[in-house]
Amino acid sequence: MKPAVRIQQEDFSQDEEIRALQASSKRMGGIATFLGCARDFSEGREVSEISFDAYGSMALSELGKLRSAAIEKYGLLDARIVHRIGTVKGGENIVFIAAGAEHRVAALEACRWMIDELKQRVPIWKKETTPQGDAWVTPHP
Amino acid sequence: MIKVLFFGPVAERIGNNALQVEHRPGLRLQDVRDQLAAQYPQAFEIVCFAAANGEHVRDLSLPLADNSEVAFMAKFSGG
Repeated sequence: MKPAVRIQQEDFSQDEEIRALQASSKRMGGIATFLGCARDFSEGREVSEISFDAYGSMALSELGKLRSAAIEKYGLLDARIVHRIGTVKGGENIVFIAAGAEHRVAALEACRWMIDELKQRVPIWKKETTPQGDAWVTPHP
Repeated sequence: MIKVLFFGPVAERIGNNALQVEHRPGLRLQDVRDQLAAQYPQAFEIVCFAAANGEHVRDLSLPLADNSEVAFMAKFSGG
């Protein structure tokens, strides 16, 4: 089975990640997921692709801490986080987060918390390629 | 030596992904930041976070051991 936290160039399978999550416990009654995708339009400009740069070792370590913190904070049975780097085209997947808990509330809240925290804590940067040129993305709240 | 890493928008403004700064006894993260900010003011305009040996650092008075790896980073935009 693939590690629960990964940073990778290649696309991921949501089904595979959810199956891996489910395999960790039969007590799981709720799974919440977040899928972040590359938009082809941003700030009034067409975006053909997005390139990601990351402080790889730190980003992986921060994702691992984030997963552990979410499991503890929300009493999850398991959680998985996969983030792509390299170049991603409009419409393609960027990040997948899955939280599994006995009940839905913990799963939903943990999933929301993890993506919000990821944006604050994990050293990854995106650059959009547009007809007007390339631009590093200013984070959204 | 201290290895200083840059990523994304900061690396682009510096024109490099890594630099080295000579270590001296008592060297703090703030000293490295001050030295590089004087050399690369445009890059450091957008620096919001610092890390030492792969860990977030909020207190820049952190003393640095020789061969430390530090990073000065812009706001993250992953996800």
